[in-house]
Amino acid sequence: MLNEERVILMTKMASYEGNEGKKNMAIGKFFRSDYIGIQVLKSVLSVTICYAVCFALYIFYDFEVFMQDLYKMDLIAFAVQVLKYYGIAVVAYGLLSYVVYSWRYAKAKKSLKCYYNNLKKLYSLYQEQ
Amino acid sequence: MTGLLEFRDKLKSIYSHNEVFILPVVKFLVALLTLGLINSHMGYMTKLDNLAIVLIVALMCSFLPKGAIVLFAAVFTLLHMYSLSIEVALVGLVVYLLLFLLFLRFSPKDSLAVVITPLLCVMQIPYVVPVAMGLLGTPVSAITVSCGVIVYYLLVTITGNATAISTMGEEEAIAKIRMIVDGLLDNKSMLVVIASFAITVIVVYLIRRMSIDYSWTIAIVAGAMINLIVMLVGDLIYDTNVSILNAVVGSVVAIAVAKVIEFFRFCVDYSRTEKVQFEDDEYYYYVKAVPKMTVAAQTKTVKRINTQTRGDYYGRSVTTERTGRSRNYQEPRGYNKGREHLNGGRSMTISSEQMTDDVQDDYEEIF
Repeated sequence: MLNEERVILMTKMASYEGNEGKKNMAIGKFFRSDYIGIQVLKSVLSVTICYAVCFALYIFYDFEVFMQDLYKMDLIAFAVQVLKYYGIAVVAYGLLSYVVYSWRYAKAKKSLKCYYNNLKKLYSLYQEQ
Repeated sequence: MTGLLEFRDKLKSIYSHNEVFILPVVKFLVALLTLGLINSHMGYMTKLDNLAIVLIVALMCSFLPKGAIVLFAAVFTLLHMYSLSIEVALVGLVVYLLLFLLFLRFSPKDSLAVVITPLLCVMQIPYVVPVAMGLLGTPVSAITVSCGVIVYYLLVTITGNATAISTMGEEEAIAKIRMIVDGLLDNKSMLVVIASFAITVIVVYLIRRMSIDYSWTIAIVAGAMINLIVMLVGDLIYDTNVSILNAVVGSVVAIAVAKVIEFFRFCVDYSRTEKVQFEDDEYYYYVKAVPKMTVAAQTKTVKRINTQTRGDYYGRSVTTERTGRSRNYQEPRGYNKGREHLNGGRSMTISSEQMTDDVQDDYEEIF
């Protein structure tokens, strides 16, 4: 026989599994440090690509001046300066990513905890029957 | 108000029953509008400015995920840029790459706002975006809205300099890049709009989450006003030539649209607010419960008046039936048997076996 409470609970859980839960379950598979580490690594990769693209555009933008000054400038000092800015960008963006993905992991875990509680409740409803 | 609530419930019912068809149609229309506007405003690649291509792509977007609209819009703009000049396309690609890699990865759910923001900017109602995103999204939506503003100003810069770029030769590649990059980075108007939209999204979000009565309405009005104030302050500082009339009218439109969103998403009756307090082993709870405004499902009363000519008896039979969403009360067979003595009168035929108590009250007596 149909149990209305059980059907409602299963419907809610199925809806969760199909929408928000899908993402949260993917996050929940990881340990906290692994998840945040991977995401920060992706962020570092992203910022590296962006920095390279921006640097290329900057050189292209000032190409004539750059070519004129190429033999006059201290290339090592220039490279150090470029790397310094790159380090700042990586640290700033990595830190931002760390904060965002730590928060997301905590949120997903909290949501999954609620989902697992509902699973237990569903199991107990089956047991009662 | 009851009529509006009934209308809302009817709309919700229609949507929930036909979501499978409505969602693709909406996506199709958004894609069609977006690609159509891109073609009409840019249109440098004549092969792409073709209704058949736009229709095919819009049709593809209708059954692909929402992100497909963003992708196709980006591809269309890049192809138009390429047709204008390869250097312009290069700058466009770099900007899109930066937005995608640095910002949009934080809020992929709101990616459609990147398309909607320029779309509404073109339609002269940009102020709707931050207020609506503050109501429907999260503070992270400020990033998406800002990306949308950057895309809009990139396209405006390109279309504004298109004539000059098209007259430049191939040897002036660097000048073309400088023109677009300078046009984008020195655009104070863009910075002011980004600041005002981002602040508005965050303010609207924070206020609408507050535990105060009419929080959504306060958030909408406060958001529209803050948006206006930041725009005007930005205009005073950077001389961005903001049209005050446009800004005021745009803010009023934003409030109107936001009220419609509120009606569909957060329609509550504050006059019936309940505040309860209880405790368990670990906490004291101070709960404020605000009931949603709803209306009961409307039922219709159908009267059937039939003239009877059966043998010596002549009279009229009035059958009253009540119809609801899922309730159908049918008259049982042979129901009129034994009532023929009501000669020349009117009878009400109701199946008492199939009626529940609460339904009986709604019946009209016609004896």
